[in-house]
Amino acid sequence: MEFLLEINVEEMPSSHVRSALADLQEKFSRELAAAKIPVGVLRSYSTCRRLIILADMAPGQEDREEIVTGPPKAAAFAADGSPTPAALGFAKSKGIPVSELQVITTDRGEYVGFKKIEKGQSGADILVRIIPQILSSLSFPKMMRWGEGSLRFSRPIRNIFCLFGEKPLTFSLDGLTSHNATMGHKLLAPQKIEARNFQEYKDALQEKRVIIDEAERKQLILGQIESHLAPLNAQLYPDPELLAKLANDVEYPYVFMGSFPEGYLNLPLEILSTAMREGQKLFSVVKGKKQLPFFLGVADSPADPKGFIQKGNERVLKARLEDARFFWEQDLKTSLKKRAPKLKLVLFQEKLGSYDDKVQRLKKLTAYLCAKTEVAKIEKDVVQAAELSKVDLLTDMVREFPGLQGKVGGLYAKAEGLPATVAQAIYEHYQPVGLEDEPPSTTAGALLSLADKLDSIVGVVGVGIQMTGSSDPFGLRRNAQGVCKIILERKLNLSFLRLLDKVCAVYGDKLKRPKEEVIDYCREFFLNRLRSIFDKWGFRYDLVNAALGVGIDNLYYSYLRLKALDSLKSSPQFEPMILMAKRVHNIIGGQPPGAMNADLFEEKGERELYSTFSIIKENVTPMLAKGDFSQAQKIIFRIQPSLNNFFDHVLVMAKETKLRKNRLALLQAISKILNQIADYSQVVVEGEKPNNKR
Amino acid sequence: MSLQNLVMSLQKFWTDQGCYLAPSYDLEVGAGTMTPDTFFRVLDKRPWKVAYVQPSRRPTDGRFGQNPHRLQKHYQFQVIIKPSPADIQKIYIDGLASLGINLADHDLRFDEDDWESPTIGAWGVGWQVMLDGLEISQFTYFQQAGGVEIFPIPVEITYGLERLEMFLEEKDNIYDLKWSEDVSYRDLRFEEEKEFSEYNFNQATVKSLRKYFELSEKEAAHLIEKNLLLPAYDMCLKCSHFFNLLDARGAFSVTERVKMIAQIRALVNEIARKYTTNREKP
Repeated sequence: MEFLLEINVEEMPSSHVRSALADLQEKFSRELAAAKIPVGVLRSYSTCRRLIILADMAPGQEDREEIVTGPPKAAAFAADGSPTPAALGFAKSKGIPVSELQVITTDRGEYVGFKKIEKGQSGADILVRIIPQILSSLSFPKMMRWGEGSLRFSRPIRNIFCLFGEKPLTFSLDGLTSHNATMGHKLLAPQKIEARNFQEYKDALQEKRVIIDEAERKQLILGQIESHLAPLNAQLYPDPELLAKLANDVEYPYVFMGSFPEGYLNLPLEILSTAMREGQKLFSVVKGKKQLPFFLGVADSPADPKGFIQKGNERVLKARLEDARFFWEQDLKTSLKKRAPKLKLVLFQEKLGSYDDKVQRLKKLTAYLCAKTEVAKIEKDVVQAAELSKVDLLTDMVREFPGLQGKVGGLYAKAEGLPATVAQAIYEHYQPVGLEDEPPSTTAGALLSLADKLDSIVGVVGVGIQMTGSSDPFGLRRNAQGVCKIILERKLNLSFLRLLDKVCAVYGDKLKRPKEEVIDYCREFFLNRLRSIFDKWGFRYDLVNAALGVGIDNLYYSYLRLKALDSLKSSPQFEPMILMAKRVHNIIGGQPPGAMNADLFEEKGERELYSTFSIIKENVTPMLAKGDFSQAQKIIFRIQPSLNNFFDHVLVMAKETKLRKNRLALLQAISKILNQIADYSQVVVEGEKPNNKR
Repeated sequence: MSLQNLVMSLQKFWTDQGCYLAPSYDLEVGAGTMTPDTFFRVLDKRPWKVAYVQPSRRPTDGRFGQNPHRLQKHYQFQVIIKPSPADIQKIYIDGLASLGINLADHDLRFDEDDWESPTIGAWGVGWQVMLDGLEISQFTYFQQAGGVEIFPIPVEITYGLERLEMFLEEKDNIYDLKWSEDVSYRDLRFEEEKEFSEYNFNQATVKSLRKYFELSEKEAAHLIEKNLLLPAYDMCLKCSHFFNLLDARGAFSVTERVKMIAQIRALVNEIARKYTTNREKP
């Protein structure tokens, strides 16, 4: 039977619509499953004003048959077949005529009884109960109340349309009563619509200027855009977020094209496209990398019969571009360097001081990073970029378009004629924003970005601001992901703990927590970020544990360790070697470290292991130092036959203390080398008994 | 339609909806929301309907009369209705139609834009209303003011009068607007914008502004003590205006800005708390 629900709401943000639909579907399925009503197809549709659920479901619960037994047959009927008082009493107590009693054969013998039919509840009864509950339980990133109602929702609910099996389904929610009527487009066709089923509903709305399928609206928008652009041989400056927002925000899309005076084209593309997108939600038009003096907008309308929509938007855009040009010219009158001292007046964080303080720290950190990553020749440029990186916060352009921070600074630096390295580093130093975003394209940009992000993380942790649950008030998780991404993709080989130490040292006494505590917290924090990145990249969790289990002094090396493990994981030597490594790990567990004396090896097995190990160690030591864990691991794995032989023929726990300690010391030395690659004890081998401890 | 006719049409429309027509408030405010006709009246439980023009000062927006659409003082048309009616969007749309705008020829959109004022501890949920890409109104369901949860929920509609008039006259420059048939916006306001921009950005004496702020703050605290909440709130409005002037003068040190906002908010929250307690007494 068809169930159709439309919640009519005042304009909701697209993020709210998306989460509400998912939530609505999920809760609807769960509640109906709990009520034992099978649901076939379940679909959802939406506009910014409508949340719609369509389901094909059973008309109600199935009737349930229950067998109720009474006295044994022998006690129920007299010899003449007439019912005894026992049978009469039973029938009376159950409220049925005695004539309906039947003989029922059970494992225990024959009894009298009857089949009781428990009527299933109708779908309508159940829906009327659960739908208001579900709607009251939907949650949104920000909730509101309206009028004198008690419900909290994304925006005020104004009508509820609900059908079940072609009939209106009536329930109440916060003063509204559901019925079989809704309304067409609020502005274009605000007439009442009645419908008996989904097809009628959809067609009637279409006629009244509402397309309920977001995917369909998106296709319409793209099609119309294409028909505007094809004759110009031009392309859309891609903006999937804007497209998704507009597909949500209009019920009947109409794409209009407009133009602006070519004089504005000397503004950078970043600024033009932002000015268009932020206020009026307009798309930019490009030909290759060149911006064209056109824009595309999406109206909630079937057409622009008098050209008012296009002309109005052109007028508003011209004013905005005029503003942007004014900002651009005004800002350029004062060089970044000359503006920089005013950073003292801009607060970075209450306990951590101004952006000028931050910039002074970034200069030191970038110098340190240049030295540690051996790019001394760009040090001057990176430090200069650091010095100017935050100055754009003082410009009118960034005050107008905060999302362009960094980029604006880079563009101004370039326009001022500063070295390209400096300008580019400033331009991209906020990147990557999130794991999907590209890290900076240049070394200078990458080092500045690292310094900036680590400075923020250490500072916030250092003054004792706690991150709880999903809250990430200073974007620290995103910043930490950015740090990991830059280090891994740039293959930066540097001691992370020493870097953290340096960041703390540069802060000096500004940090309220002890340095050790801050570093410990950050190490744990980054360990978790790395784990989630590796997890997202699809690595086996136990290999991740093994690679991270030996510490994260060098984030890039952690990644190489993991890749080494991953590359050998399917080779035939892998599992036997893991088991062997675990055996070594278990035997030496809890033993005090001892010194090895080659002269004390008596038996052939141990002499042989010692000499194999010595050769391997000599070979792999330089590889480990370089971070070539793959090659080192391949070579170390060659120890396996000797190790195997050793365990088969030599008694480690010899009675004589000297011999025993010496053998343990040999195994400790082997374990030490293994541990330079990974903590193999964390690798899970198939068929292995859990807690395989000796 | 001239600007004064626009004002008269809106006054007619909203008084027809039952709104009381309030005079503009006689202190410098940043927005119509800040005047007592909105601030106090949304706090209690009684129904309230009001409409008024409010001159609104934003010293940092001054452009010496040189920018065709930015002003350090502009005019808002403020409407408050409590509780918010179920058909308020339709009423608003009818209001636009009553100005002679045929919406079938235009693109009217309610675009997500929640509102917040940390200075008076207030926030609400709603939209900026866009007409062919031009923001002509703010439409907000208040949820909190003076740090107090509000109930019943009022709706606030604020028209930017210059914006709307630019739309109606299809003009690109505010100063070209007609105030009346024979007086232009330039005639009335150009000199004022020039002089006040110079005052706001260059001539206001920072030391005196700090002193005024301090004195007004003290006075507010004193008046709160005496349970004179309306005068106390006036003092907070003065604080807010001196704060805005200091901002335009670029006079804030690192922590000062945050601190001063917090100072005003603390006073306003205290006023709101006392006001609601007094009103709830039998």
